[in-house]
Amino acid sequence: MTGTLDYPDVVQMAVPLFIALILAEFLWIALRRRAGRYETRDALTSLILGAGSIVEGIVLGFVAWGFFMALWAITPLDLGTSVWVVVLCFVLDDLRYYWVHRFGHRIRWVWASHVNHHSSQHYNLTTALRQTWTGTFTFMMIVRAPLILLGFHPAMVLFVGGLNLIYQFWIHTEAIGKLPRWFEAVMNTPSHHRVHHGRNPRYLDANYAGVFIIWDKLFGTFVPEYEGEKPDYGLVQNLGTFNTLRVVFHEWVGLFRDVTQPGLTARQRVSYAFGPPGYSHDGSRDTSQDIKAKHLARHPEDAGTPGFE
Amino acid sequence: MGTLLIVVIGGIGSIILLLHLTGRSRKRELTPEDARTAWHRHFPEDQIHDVIVSRDGHSGLVTTDQGPGLIWSFGADTAARHLRNFDFVEKTNGQAIRFHDFTAPRVDLHLAEPELDRWRQIMGLA
Repeated sequence: MTGTLDYPDVVQMAVPLFIALILAEFLWIALRRRAGRYETRDALTSLILGAGSIVEGIVLGFVAWGFFMALWAITPLDLGTSVWVVVLCFVLDDLRYYWVHRFGHRIRWVWASHVNHHSSQHYNLTTALRQTWTGTFTFMMIVRAPLILLGFHPAMVLFVGGLNLIYQFWIHTEAIGKLPRWFEAVMNTPSHHRVHHGRNPRYLDANYAGVFIIWDKLFGTFVPEYEGEKPDYGLVQNLGTFNTLRVVFHEWVGLFRDVTQPGLTARQRVSYAFGPPGYSHDGSRDTSQDIKAKHLARHPEDAGTPGFE
Repeated sequence: MGTLLIVVIGGIGSIILLLHLTGRSRKRELTPEDARTAWHRHFPEDQIHDVIVSRDGHSGLVTTDQGPGLIWSFGADTAARHLRNFDFVEKTNGQAIRFHDFTAPRVDLHLAEPELDRWRQIMGLA
């Protein structure tokens, strides 16, 4: 059985690169008039969230690590550490990422953590760092369990997960248009991820990919960037505060308030916690399905176009 | 760890300073047409009856079929809420609208007479 295994913490190592690329993107936008916008307070909130996310990983990382090592202790399988195993692990972990990300948009308990990342009305490299502080509490670590039980060492799983996150940094930009078709066909790109961050009805709940866009094509969640409609970034109901703590915890607060309000059945309480974002027991809110349906009712000419197929 | 901390703090500081010095801290200024378009971005189903924008251009009062609403400059963008559950507070240097909303706790206004009277009327406070 593979014993102690050490891989570098690639995300922490990439921090200087992230800073350099943010400065480069800003200068490219400002001097070469590329697409994209920056705003001071928005960027500050994003960067503080990014720094806090790294702290959360350092402070609470032992929870996931302990869980993974417990699984490693009980699995009889060990695929070893060859390069091909690492590559296979990377691909399968990206499939894992797709599903965790999809859960993150369709299950309010997980959305409460992930919503932070979508809360900026801007889309630039600082948005990439606008990350959750509460990921541990979603318990999505459980989705990595099959990888470990299949024989991929926990350290390798976390290592390829880090590489996955680093890949996704550069796609958070408006300054890069569409890339060659062969690349757009297989990989997640700025164009595909702009769609994912769009709050336009046609772009809701699409393009969950981490590295490979093929999972969205396989599972029916792919929407191409539509030339007739530029993505509008942010949340369906945008925040009216830059306060970091409010950004981090707002959906958890809302979830708690909804679940504990008087006069609900147990099923309604569970639905507020684990149903899709926008669920309400009295129909007073809209899920993304409702938003799409209402948009088509107002704009029937959009039926059959990307996001409404 | 110490090096990482220095890089992070220094990096964030540099980025924010650069943004501020190049004018990226400027608040959006609204015209009535901007406010109308921005309201529809936030509430596409609302029918807008009227829009008035404050003299400083940083907030707008929108009258809709859902009742009155406030749209305000949020950095380079906007945020908006219907005026349903709120307090209107007079301060020494202006006013504040306190929404009972964790995601939009307070909006500062700088209304002077006679627009202040008009706003109070539309908000149902007169």
